[in-house]
Amino acid sequence: MRVYILRRLVQIVPTVLGITFVVFLMMRSIPGDPVVALLGDSYTQEDAVKAREVYGLNQPILVQYLIWLGKLLQGDWGASILTGRPVLQDVLVRLPVTLELIVLSMGVALVIAIPAAIIGALRQNTWADYTATTVAMIGVSIPEFFLGVLLLLAFSIGLGGVLPSSGWVYLPGTCPMMVCGVSLWGNMQHVLMPAFALGVGRAAILTRLLRASMLEVIRTEYVTTARAKGVTELKVVLKHALKNALIPTVTVMGLQVGFLIGGAIVVETLFAMPGLGTFGIDAIIARDYQQVQGFALLTAFAFVVINLVVDLSYTFLDPRIRYG
Amino acid sequence: MKPRPISGGSLREAELPAVTGLARPAAGEARSETPLAQGLRRLRRSTTALVGVAIVLALIVVAIFADVLAPQSPIASDQTHTFERPSWDYPLGTDQLGRDMLSRVIHGSRISLLVGVSSVLLALFVGVPFGMIAGYYGGRTDTVIMRLMDLVLAFPIYLLAIILMVMFAPTAGLIGTIKVTGAIAIVRIPIYARLVRGSVLSIKEKEYIEACRALGVRDPWIIFRHVLPNCLAPIIVTTTLGIATSIIVEATLSFLGLGTQPPTPSWGWDLKANLAFIQDNAWLSLFPGLAIFVTVLGFNLFGDGLRDALDPRLK
Amino acid sequence: MRSTRPALGLGLGSIALLALTFLLTDLSAAQTPKRGGTLRVSYGNEIAHLDFHTAGGYEMMWVAMNVGCGLVNITPDGKFVGDVAESWQMSPDGLLYTFKLRKNALFHDGTQVDAAAVKFSIDRLMDPETKSGMRPFYAPVHSVEVIDPHTVQIRLKHPYAFFLHMLAGYRTGLVIYNPVATQKYTLQDRQQGKPEAVSGCGPFRLVEWVKGSHLVMDRFDKYFVPGLPYVDRVMIRVIKDPVTEMAAFKAGEIDFIASFSPEHVDTMKAQNPRARIMTGKETTPMMAAMKVTVPKDGIPMSVERAPHPIFGDLRVRKAIGCYGIDRKEIVKIAFKGQATPWVGMALPGTLESVNVNHLCPYDPAKAKAILAEVGYGPSKPLTFELLTNTEKSVFSVITTVIKEQMARIGVTANIRLVDKVSWLNSTLQDGPWDMYVEDLLSLLTIDSNGYLSTAYVSKNSSAWSHPRHTDTKVDDYYARYAREMDAGKRKALAKEFLEYMADKMYWNTISGSPFYMVAQPWVKGYVYNAEFEVHWDNVWLDK
Repeated sequence: MRVYILRRLVQIVPTVLGITFVVFLMMRSIPGDPVVALLGDSYTQEDAVKAREVYGLNQPILVQYLIWLGKLLQGDWGASILTGRPVLQDVLVRLPVTLELIVLSMGVALVIAIPAAIIGALRQNTWADYTATTVAMIGVSIPEFFLGVLLLLAFSIGLGGVLPSSGWVYLPGTCPMMVCGVSLWGNMQHVLMPAFALGVGRAAILTRLLRASMLEVIRTEYVTTARAKGVTELKVVLKHALKNALIPTVTVMGLQVGFLIGGAIVVETLFAMPGLGTFGIDAIIARDYQQVQGFALLTAFAFVVINLVVDLSYTFLDPRIRYG
Repeated sequence: MKPRPISGGSLREAELPAVTGLARPAAGEARSETPLAQGLRRLRRSTTALVGVAIVLALIVVAIFADVLAPQSPIASDQTHTFERPSWDYPLGTDQLGRDMLSRVIHGSRISLLVGVSSVLLALFVGVPFGMIAGYYGGRTDTVIMRLMDLVLAFPIYLLAIILMVMFAPTAGLIGTIKVTGAIAIVRIPIYARLVRGSVLSIKEKEYIEACRALGVRDPWIIFRHVLPNCLAPIIVTTTLGIATSIIVEATLSFLGLGTQPPTPSWGWDLKANLAFIQDNAWLSLFPGLAIFVTVLGFNLFGDGLRDALDPRLK
Repeated sequence: MRSTRPALGLGLGSIALLALTFLLTDLSAAQTPKRGGTLRVSYGNEIAHLDFHTAGGYEMMWVAMNVGCGLVNITPDGKFVGDVAESWQMSPDGLLYTFKLRKNALFHDGTQVDAAAVKFSIDRLMDPETKSGMRPFYAPVHSVEVIDPHTVQIRLKHPYAFFLHMLAGYRTGLVIYNPVATQKYTLQDRQQGKPEAVSGCGPFRLVEWVKGSHLVMDRFDKYFVPGLPYVDRVMIRVIKDPVTEMAAFKAGEIDFIASFSPEHVDTMKAQNPRARIMTGKETTPMMAAMKVTVPKDGIPMSVERAPHPIFGDLRVRKAIGCYGIDRKEIVKIAFKGQATPWVGMALPGTLESVNVNHLCPYDPAKAKAILAEVGYGPSKPLTFELLTNTEKSVFSVITTVIKEQMARIGVTANIRLVDKVSWLNSTLQDGPWDMYVEDLLSLLTIDSNGYLSTAYVSKNSSAWSHPRHTDTKVDDYYARYAREMDAGKRKALAKEFLEYMADKMYWNTISGSPFYMVAQPWVKGYVYNAEFEVHWDNVWLDK
């Protein structure tokens, strides 16, 4: 088991390296030179050449990548060419926002999916089941940004502007800057719509899966035995079916991270949240190579680690599973 | 059974295990019916699937006959009729440039369907052969191909699509549409490769394959004749659901300004552009959004219905 | 009865007196600025970085005007007021400017603002190594001399009518750098906004800048104008989307919007009837610039030029840019009529501007005729590419309208929409483009546009002169105009110059690009002076 974990941990390295290298290559294939944006008003040909030398942009791509890697191993994530700001600092400032958004989205998804799945499994093929399935189908077909727009219309523009349409207020203790708006209530107000917009789509998929898994478990013998012993329906479902349905659920949640990160980009843009999503897309469009590298590194790392955690969690959820 | 971690893609596609053949008819039912006919029968019975089929067909008709159905040109601006409210003349109102929203939505279906379908087909044509080769020949070929697929899958779908589009530089017109199609296709290829590979692996060791080999039948023929038909069902289902995902991705890219460019009418772009006027003219953003929703819903219902019809064990 | 009258009179009189007192007290209370509070500002765009001498963009400039100080400022009616300079004199021959500095001006780290600091700053701006965007404007400066710690003398190479204008309001104007802090900290420190490194002499000192989140500046207690600034803190947030900005404004989360989207002004007015919406005559041109030359040998930025295949011909430029564009229609659709259709290089709000609209009336028949004369027609249709960027949504609206207008005269314009960085790359690096729509930057004087429209004849020419014409007569006009000290003669010269530019279509303005600032009713004391002077030191919050 320990060997397995070690092996997986080691495998993280080439994956992350691969992703960051590909991003490195792609960014430099984008037409458009950040040096032009940097020099702005005072752009001249010679200054551009000099600037490229200073920032090492005139070297072969592989060399540039190795330099970046070298610095990274020393803990230096580099600094933005355009603003001089250290990338690690900027990323750390944005991280709490996106993290909260993703975690709460998953929370929203679970809060919707678990009851819906239970209803569906218990009352299979009744109108309640069909309603739940239909709602799930609708949820999976709405693009996140459209759902966000609908929520904006309903709660920000309509209903007297009950919820704020943009910006961010930090949770106490999560703001790494000197000047922060910090308030639990304010934070909840700002995160509610984005988390909902992002979470509903996931809820739909989860409901479907949970329901199917639970149905499968319900049909198995030991649940029938439990019923025979007189355990109530609900208890049966909760104790046995739900617990055993957790494995595929956890798998799915791990898979969903990819969509969540991508969806976070869109939702953060729509709600003007100062998170990693807006950071990433602004950096890509501005051709801020260093910032994009930082963003890609973090994203790849998160992705890979989450997959590992998901795989490892099976051992806790189902003692029969062991890795050799 | 330990679930195989297949990352990326929508769950629906990842959920499908390797199908070892179309479902055998249940005992007692007429054996003379072909699996296809059985599938169709099941499909006909499901209301939701039929709704999906209806929506998809309606969309195809609208897209093909857009020029006839749209009351006005989607790109002709009329400065005397800007921001009109929905009325008999302009059922969905007009936008800032006086363009009829209904016509824009109708024409927008073309781009959505075009990009949705062709990106998936492109992913198929590239992904299926990759998967076949990887699964059939195994060994180093398999490792190399699968590592490549894993690399693509390791990216969150939108991140890769965004970077690709910035690389290609979004433009208008046909070239622009091709770029968007390409970007989305690249992101979807690994799903089909994995799917087919899994299928191939499961029947590779079957006896009749061995027999064919012993008889001297050439490999590509084996692949084509025996392996491919077994993947057909999941491929069809995945493709249909994949179209839904592609349409959402295209709309999202346009929303971010990285997809179809004006003046080509695009639902995602219109939604974003008219978001600025949502206070007073909310319908301008709502209708393109609804169009996207209905289209995606149609394909999802259809795909779901197909899955239930072709392999009810998955229900 | 008779005894009550005096009492009644006394009573009424007292009441009247009391009322009057209250009235006066109320008025004077409203007039006395209240100290304290945070002024919450919203920007529509990000700040580039905080090294004031090398960064670009108004967002940065407005920060520089409040964190830094200069020698002089300019009022909305064109008068000069001293900033760190108490008084100044110009020698009779116009070559020597002597500034007497205040004795109590300090940088935020306590260093004295003296003549040496002024010399240090100007020398720095003139140094090619600094790569400052302001450098071309210091071309007339010969040298700076420190007479005594509080007297600095600037010697010019030739008389320059706009020297004070330049110091006050060309882009950042002069921002005085702290010699101690500049030498102690690096360029990166300043760029990223390390408070100790960005040490200015303005009313506010930088506290924190987190790109993508906020910029905070606090009152500098030792500011040289006692009692100012009134507010404790200014907090700037970037809200790119105007709808979001409006929602935040309506909810009272923002006090002041710097540069509000013109397309949404009507909605803003409707939603916030008590808000103060400030605008003036436009100073920024919305242009449909046409490329005049291309590199002869295909090497970008080459000094060897060949005429552009389409717009190298003056007749085509006039047909399309002068007669073929309906400026009124564009203003109506894109700006809902809230801008001025304009032809001249200098906008209505630019000093000494002249209206030359009569030179280019909308005349599609004439446009078609000229094109036919050149050889274009149904058998040889004219097609060109219309480039613009995504920075402002109004750009793509204008390009769509121009495309329509071109279709009316039988010309096909294909729209290419790119992001700002790509646009910069294409235009600055002599890339292939035919016509672009953009509003470059605001012009205080005609002279300040020299950087953008002089001839491209040498390696030292400005890369920002996008059309790359090679007509040195334009440079002559600039030189003569800038050196003409007599106001009457200069105005005549301006008219001649602007007519020449319109005639040659080197600079094709469509309209002014309106500029709006919005303030909540409780924000008092702000003096509107377009983009040129944005100062928050006099602002106070009445709540």
